[in-house]
Amino acid sequence: MRNRAMTGAIRRFSDFMHPPRTLRWRLFLILLTGLVLAHGLSFGALVLERTNAAKAMMLGTLEQDVATSVTLLDRLPPEERGRWLAVLERRTYRYELGRGLPGVPDLGSRGAEIARAVNGGAGPGFPVVVEAIPGDRPHLQAHVTLRDGSPVTIDVTPALMPLAAWLPLLLAAQLVMLVLCTWLAVRQAIRPLARFAKAAETLDPGGTSARLAEDGPSEVAHAATAFNAMRDRIAHYLEERVRILAAISHDLQTPITRMALRVEMAEDTPEKERLLRDLSQIERLVREGVAYARSAHGDVETPARIDVGSFVESLAFDYQDMGKPVTVHGLSGAVLTTRPHALRRILTNLIDNALKFAGEAAITVTRDSTGRIGVAVRDSGPGIPEHQLTAVLQPFYRLEQSRNRDSGGTGLGLAIAHQLALAIGGSLTLRNRQMGGLCAEVTLG
Amino acid sequence: MDHIDHVLIVDDDRDIRELVSGYLKRNGLRVTPAADGRQMRSFLERDRVDLIVLDIMMPGDDGLVLCRELCAGRHATTPVLMLTARNDEMDRILGLEMGADDYLAKPFAARELLARIKAILRRARMLPPNLQISEAGQLLGFGNWRLDTVARHLLDQDGTAIALSGAEYRLLRVFLDHPQRVLSRDQLLNLTQGREAELFERSIDLLVSRLRQRLRDDAREPSHIKTVRNEGYVLAMPVEITRARS
Repeated sequence: MRNRAMTGAIRRFSDFMHPPRTLRWRLFLILLTGLVLAHGLSFGALVLERTNAAKAMMLGTLEQDVATSVTLLDRLPPEERGRWLAVLERRTYRYELGRGLPGVPDLGSRGAEIARAVNGGAGPGFPVVVEAIPGDRPHLQAHVTLRDGSPVTIDVTPALMPLAAWLPLLLAAQLVMLVLCTWLAVRQAIRPLARFAKAAETLDPGGTSARLAEDGPSEVAHAATAFNAMRDRIAHYLEERVRILAAISHDLQTPITRMALRVEMAEDTPEKERLLRDLSQIERLVREGVAYARSAHGDVETPARIDVGSFVESLAFDYQDMGKPVTVHGLSGAVLTTRPHALRRILTNLIDNALKFAGEAAITVTRDSTGRIGVAVRDSGPGIPEHQLTAVLQPFYRLEQSRNRDSGGTGLGLAIAHQLALAIGGSLTLRNRQMGGLCAEVTLG
Repeated sequence: MDHIDHVLIVDDDRDIRELVSGYLKRNGLRVTPAADGRQMRSFLERDRVDLIVLDIMMPGDDGLVLCRELCAGRHATTPVLMLTARNDEMDRILGLEMGADDYLAKPFAARELLARIKAILRRARMLPPNLQISEAGQLLGFGNWRLDTVARHLLDQDGTAIALSGAEYRLLRVFLDHPQRVLSRDQLLNLTQGREAELFERSIDLLVSRLRQRLRDDAREPSHIKTVRNEGYVLAMPVEITRARS
């Protein structure tokens, strides 16, 4: 029990000691701590120096003043001395005629300094006894005996000049300014980072997304230039990939067309059927390969406003008219700006997939709380093992068991759908349904 | 003597030209091969043809350029069938917008090509080009709606695209070609049958009710496609060409 309490305490302590998660806070704390510390130290040193100077000045003044005052009182006839007391009074000390109050000889360091000053001021002709008067307002009294034997008491209440009232305000204002400036500096340093992160997240090399502005402080401008250059390189690679795939496919398509025509015109033999089947398989692979290469560029199509309900329904009706069981449920009346051909291709691939493995497909249109529209294609087929749900979105990925084998697929259907979904600013997620079967959902902004 | 249809085949691949020419000749067509745009132009200056088969991907002037040129020149009425290596909805639309009459993706079967050629020739012969409003207009207006005959969708007042299934689109085109005329179910069934005729089995009534939904018609009091008791259906408004085909 105690053990656990202690572990908890240690953890809390280490949490406390642990640096904050964000760079913003770290920089802010480091800068602010340093600045406040430096500022505090110099402020402290200043106050100390001022105290010392003021003290020295006070003691010097006291010494001279006492010399003058004691000599003056000594020269005056005793009956006139009382009138002069008010004139001689200063802020921290005054003169009294009489023996004063009884005190203790223990003076402390400060008292000793004052005593030295009074002694020095009074001079050798006037014996002085300095005593501390304890009480709720501790002060000192110096008892001087004038030459005619009458006693005079100098009552000293040591006090420095009080600090001006505006000084703490000034300190607070300076601290506030420190916090603000530190915050500004940190923001200045962090902002480019956030900008870069956002640019990298939304990186769309072939797309129209704006390039990073190459201005600002020279380091930031340099990094932005480098980032833009990287973006251009990626765009170049993507373009090259598309160009190569398109070139290969075009160059393949011509011989395939020739072969198909030749085979078609040859005599009918069992071989002819097989050849035609093989050719159509090659042809499909080539076609899907081009489709995949081009799917990274969703922006070749101009976006249009579409009515989602009728879009999905017309798709399902086309399947139904071909005798395929594709049904539609949910939302109607939603309007969306998207690239309709890409979306059609995505949904066609998902529906074909569902038909292939489950023999049926159900399309559901939903809208989530943030207004994003989701189009889900569900089937009740065998589904996909959990750990392969993301891997199947890769091109040419084959499942371990035979969901894909001998099914005549190219291994590109889902990859094309996935790429196209990204290219039109959406996303494709696969998940297994609880009652069995696969749910493939396209989410669109 | 019967007229023998003359087809010009423009393709840069010699083997494909020869194979296709041979096949079409054996099936009773007169065929002239051309390797590129230059040969095509020089032939068309001397002779006229009934149909041009045009490959899109060619060195020099590609098929889209040639197609646009044909549609602008004195051969504007000659039907064009495009061949392309890419089978993609975008390419189909691009080709049709350039003025092609049909579109076939490579690799294709020779008998499919022959069937398409015959279908285009039949259509071109049967119908004077301007009789069918849906052939002449790329954008047809009726009521508050417009039908895009290239993209094959409806546009509402706000310009939102309302998609149509293949059967819905074909039926709507039939109505637009015969505005304010009562069409019987039999007529509709005949006219709606496209190339995919054998796939079309649903009853006309179901299709009409779907189409009414697309047009946001109240089923009890439809304003666009009205039911004529014991006779059939009628599109109850005039149709105009908002934008002609290029």
